[in-house]
Amino acid sequence: MKKSHPIRRVVLATAATVSGIVLLLSLKPASDPASASAAGGAAPQQSAAAQESPQGGASDAQSGSVTGDVVKTQYGPVQVRITMSGGKITKAEAVQAPSGGTSDQKTELAVPRLNRATVAAQSADIDAVSGATYTSGGYKQSLQSALDKAKTAGGGAASAPSSPAGGGAAAQAKTVTGDVAKTQYGPVQVRITVSGGKITKSEAVQAPSGGRSSEVTNDAVPKLDQEAVAAGSADIDAVSGATYTSGGYKESLQSALDKAGG
Amino acid sequence: MSTIAGGRAARRQTMRRIRPRRSPAVPLLVAVWAGAAGVVWLWWNNTPSIADDNSRILNAGRITGLLAGYLMALVVLQMARVPALERRVGSDRVARWHAMSGRYTICLVLAHLFLTMWGYALQSGKGLGGIVQQTVDSVNQLPDMGKAAIGTGLLVLIAFISIGGVRRLIPYDTWYHVHLLTYAAVFLTFWHQLSTGNDFAVEPTAKTVWYGLYGSVTALVLWYRILAPIRLNLKHRLRVEAVIEETPGIVSVLISGRKLHRMGAEAGQFFRWRFLAPGMRLSSHPYSLSAAPRPTMLRITVKAIGDHSEALRDLEPGTRVWAEGPYGALTASRRSRGKVLLVAGGVGITPMRALFETLPGASGDLTLLYRANSTQDLALWDELAAIAKERGARLMYAVNSPEGERPDISPDSLRRKLPDIERHDVFLCGPPGFAQQVYEALRGAGVPARRIHHESFEM
Repeated sequence: MKKSHPIRRVVLATAATVSGIVLLLSLKPASDPASASAAGGAAPQQSAAAQESPQGGASDAQSGSVTGDVVKTQYGPVQVRITMSGGKITKAEAVQAPSGGTSDQKTELAVPRLNRATVAAQSADIDAVSGATYTSGGYKQSLQSALDKAKTAGGGAASAPSSPAGGGAAAQAKTVTGDVAKTQYGPVQVRITVSGGKITKSEAVQAPSGGRSSEVTNDAVPKLDQEAVAAGSADIDAVSGATYTSGGYKESLQSALDKAGG
Repeated sequence: MSTIAGGRAARRQTMRRIRPRRSPAVPLLVAVWAGAAGVVWLWWNNTPSIADDNSRILNAGRITGLLAGYLMALVVLQMARVPALERRVGSDRVARWHAMSGRYTICLVLAHLFLTMWGYALQSGKGLGGIVQQTVDSVNQLPDMGKAAIGTGLLVLIAFISIGGVRRLIPYDTWYHVHLLTYAAVFLTFWHQLSTGNDFAVEPTAKTVWYGLYGSVTALVLWYRILAPIRLNLKHRLRVEAVIEETPGIVSVLISGRKLHRMGAEAGQFFRWRFLAPGMRLSSHPYSLSAAPRPTMLRITVKAIGDHSEALRDLEPGTRVWAEGPYGALTASRRSRGKVLLVAGGVGITPMRALFETLPGASGDLTLLYRANSTQDLALWDELAAIAKERGARLMYAVNSPEGERPDISPDSLRRKLPDIERHDVFLCGPPGFAQQVYEALRGAGVPARRIHHESFEM
């Protein structure tokens, strides 16, 4: 029978909810220490780079490209490759960048900006992208080492001898890219590395993204990659909650296996 | 020596009999908050980091969505007519919880919808302006989102017709039947939680818990809202025995049936009644028992204030009656003291009349104060006088003076009538304004709030 104060109640409930949610959000770190240490220098970084620049990022064919040192950051390794032409940086890209969990989002956000900044500044003197400080730091360091190598090689015409483990692995093992499988949420394309008749690596070159799909892809693709390597065939289980992506993945994987076999 | 011991034992006996049953409200609220904390923890646990504004918006959407999904189940549970809630916490309090948490849940649902779509719109480069387009895209592309969209539409409709001003414009029955669509809405929105909810995709345990939560609520609703009433009515076979006009505008309905003492009803409780007569089948209304239940007879006393209560006057004897209950926590088990004051305003006399008859107590322990507009409006007065005489209880009334002046209800006037009023338990039933006035006067006279027992169905 206490007097009720409807307006006071509404104001209190709103204020409590909003401040609670804001507090929760602000307590979360800007980047993910757990997933970085879990990913810690292991294979999956390449897939991020591959998605980053699908128009031939993995190929070392253009002349005048120099790849910098691998710089280890708290969230995973960063490696930058620059393309020089006439003493100028015409293109910069990340061959490796942190991935997994929200690092994917951050990489997606930061790397293109850093690439553009590099081409604009023509040096490693670029601003860090806010919210991706560690990645930015690693990027700058790797970029500086690439610039140093380019200088020592005599002014820009050098082609880097070393290429990162994943991207240019075609030399020792066979890398086959499957057909693009179209799904309801977007195309899926799988690339496998076959060595000694076995799948040693499987990765998605294309996968649905945007909106909820990004989340599904981030969740499902690493699982499918592992399954493919474990099964050695396209006979793998679909990831629940990502049925369409799984279907497309299997289809593209099968076509890659067919190509590799034939 | 032996007499002292005997006296002590007798007192102990009395105290044991009237030890109040605690309302489980506090432990229940603790459990609800713990569940909410668990839901937030689920999000916390599955979210390693938040990089930018876009993911801040999306994560706010996830938190509000998870909380809305959790509360939605509880809002339905509150109306499942679970006896522990209806009889121990009190139907009135649970109904107020339901209204409050329902409003809050709707706000969370809308916040979740807006934040998530805004976040997705930003992610796909549309910006805040593209939020409508993004909603259409998401409904088309994501699993179970079509269902969720229909369900959300229903929820918004239900919320709209429950806004005070709108609700007063709509007949109660229409409002009630539209309100039942909530079940459909909850069913439709359930699936997208599992199929698109990030936390349920990563955490199979969370999925199991969610199925458990919604499954048990469904089971409780099915049992207590459908199967238990069917069983009750098949067993007791209620019919109208007679309709008696008590005073102008107030009628008593006598209802006969089999083994009515086995219904478990206590004085002070009510049933929801549905009279299977033409024009009355579709609505059920809560009316208190106005006498202690007898093995072959129940009685309700109703004031004709609406269409339904007006129509009760014309009920034919033999009309079948469908009852759901008993509900209500205003019973003898709330009492904590030997002395009891019952305060009734107008037709609020009905549960007080039943309690006046049955509350255990020695001569002089019970007092009933009855407020009405005039002495002609004192329904059931003769019965009350007879009970008072038989039990040695005190019966007082307060009516307006012939000039229409209202009687004085103040701490002083109450203390004048009952000098030891602060040592009483008070049961109070009456129209909202009256109840509020009496409550304040009682508090002023020194009765602690925990000993004022009251039911109010005002939202």
